[in-house]
Amino acid sequence: MKFRHRTAAPEPDPDPEPAESSQEQPNRPERSRRPRQRSAERRGTKGVERPWIDPRDLWAEALSGVLARPVRSALTTLGTVLGIGTLVITIGVASTAANQIVGRFDALTATSVTVVVPPPPPSSDTAPLVDWPGVDAVDRLAGVETSAALAESDDTSALQVRANDVITPGVLSSQTLAVVAASPSLPAAVRGDILVGRFYDTGDIARHDRVAVLGDQAARLLGIKEVDDAPAVFFNGHSFTVIGILGGFKREQRLSTSVILPPTTAKDRVGLDEVSRVLVNTSLGAAQQVARQAPVALAPNSAGALTVLSPPDLSKARKGVQGDVNGLFLVLGLVSLIVGAIGIANVTLVTVMERVGEIGLRRALGASRRQVAGQFLTESTTIGLLGGVIGAALGMVVVVSVSAIRDWTPVLDARLALGAPVAGAVVGLLAGVYPALRASRLEPVEALRAPS
Amino acid sequence: MSEPLAHSDTPDDDVIRLTGVNRTFDSDPPVHALRDVDLAVRRGEHLSIVGPSGSGKSTLLNTLGLLDRPSSGAYWLDGVETATLTDRQRTSLRGSRIGFVFQAFHLLPYRTVEENVMLAEIYRKTRPGRDRRSRAKRARAALDRVGLSQRHGFRPDRLSGGERQRVAIARALMSDPALLLCDEPTGNLDSENTFSVLELFDELCAQGMTLVVITHDEAVSRRANRRVRISDGQLSQEIV
Repeated sequence: MKFRHRTAAPEPDPDPEPAESSQEQPNRPERSRRPRQRSAERRGTKGVERPWIDPRDLWAEALSGVLARPVRSALTTLGTVLGIGTLVITIGVASTAANQIVGRFDALTATSVTVVVPPPPPSSDTAPLVDWPGVDAVDRLAGVETSAALAESDDTSALQVRANDVITPGVLSSQTLAVVAASPSLPAAVRGDILVGRFYDTGDIARHDRVAVLGDQAARLLGIKEVDDAPAVFFNGHSFTVIGILGGFKREQRLSTSVILPPTTAKDRVGLDEVSRVLVNTSLGAAQQVARQAPVALAPNSAGALTVLSPPDLSKARKGVQGDVNGLFLVLGLVSLIVGAIGIANVTLVTVMERVGEIGLRRALGASRRQVAGQFLTESTTIGLLGGVIGAALGMVVVVSVSAIRDWTPVLDARLALGAPVAGAVVGLLAGVYPALRASRLEPVEALRAPS
Repeated sequence: MSEPLAHSDTPDDDVIRLTGVNRTFDSDPPVHALRDVDLAVRRGEHLSIVGPSGSGKSTLLNTLGLLDRPSSGAYWLDGVETATLTDRQRTSLRGSRIGFVFQAFHLLPYRTVEENVMLAEIYRKTRPGRDRRSRAKRARAALDRVGLSQRHGFRPDRLSGGERQRVAIARALMSDPALLLCDEPTGNLDSENTFSVLELFDELCAQGMTLVVITHDEAVSRRANRRVRISDGQLSQEIV
């Protein structure tokens, strides 16, 4: 059996209102308290209602009580305004700043890992650190979605590339473009799109085909729009058939102004042999792990020689920012809130003492102790709510202003915006408990003696 | 000196019926504020209770107004035996059956006259024909009864003492009480204002309202149909 809550019981509570005598009147006799058997309460009580107040009336009474002393009420809200305002500013600025930092790491950045292979010492004839087939080892790592190797060198970074072999004096028909070699998985690795034609495949590589794929900017510079008629580009005394145009680079955007060759062809014709970069795309959250493992997979014997470019650890950065900003100011806000609560309690208590006559009158008019307590609780809650609303509004203005000055995007949690006034109301409610109890304990006989 | 103060055997006819009521205060020495009080007030009667201060007047008023409980004895108010009621029920009964008129008026200074009158109804469940919306209309009607309907938007501090007391009476009338309980209603008024309030009492009495007026002013008590004197906690009938 569940214990029924007292106030929910249909019978009048055994002791919701202490008898109308009190400690304040020592000359009262101790009441000959009749044993209040429940049957007696039903007997001879025809037409006795229970005290009752419409919530709208309670609200109207509380509001007029608050508005009767507008300056005092306004000053009383100040503590809550400061407390709630500080909390909103603290949380708002912290989340804005954190978002500012986190915003730099979108999903693309967070999943991009680049391994940079240093050029071999010029004199040595040792084997390269990373060779083309060795790049496949990265694909086998857990968390790797796509990868591609890229070969660039200073020698090929600015070659004169022409779209036809006719040299017309006075007409500048050549463009300075970079020539790179890349594995056939490059379009996926840079998250690009083949705009026209196709990318070369392993067959082209195995046959050492003299084919080239142009970055979209390079194609525009050379005036090549279609590949159906097999246009050619010329550089270093060789001609290459353009088989496709690659565009929409999401990373390594500089490749859009380059000529991309199969690795074998590049080695034969331009002398581009050594892998200089490995682009790796990971699944979300795997970047850190892949960044640690990729050098070992690429060059087991000299993993330390490789440089890994990986996104910073997000979770640490965010926690760091929020931890820094929040700690001190949260304490400050909570302290202001407590001071505000004490202020509300204090002023409500003074108000109760000033309105003893009014309390006596209300009791004479049929207000129960609960209704008197309810009115003062509602008044203090209203003051707290008011402070919460004003504090939250001021706090948001400050957060938006700070963001505007710093050129940040303000981040305001809807829960914060709605929760702050509620928190203010709760503070007011708690602060009103003691004054409301004092008010409800007043004896009507005594209270009516006070001037109204 | 046990005159038959109770004149009716059917309690339902009486608004007030006290039998053998005692009230003692546990001080040192104990104070016997009411001694074996018997009193019956018929519906429509205008009763005045007179007595010097310290005679138990206030205790009797508090007992009649359900603000205090007798130590022993029975008190029937409007046919309800109050001894067995819980405090909540007494509070509710007080709100619904008794209209108080105080010496100090007890009007809320920051509310208009009309709002002060409407205050009498907010602690009661709405009854048929008495919903919240028509409350202002009823307050105007109550103010009309005391001749102050043109003052409904005023604050109490702009009224004379007599007008304030009439507002308080309108508030008491608002809840349609069985009994108007007046505690020194003219104690703070000059003779002119006293006269206007007493005229109003006569009018209300003529309309059938039951009035109990506690006073030490002879002029006030002379207006009543019946006078009761209290001294040393004992009641005695005065023949008018």
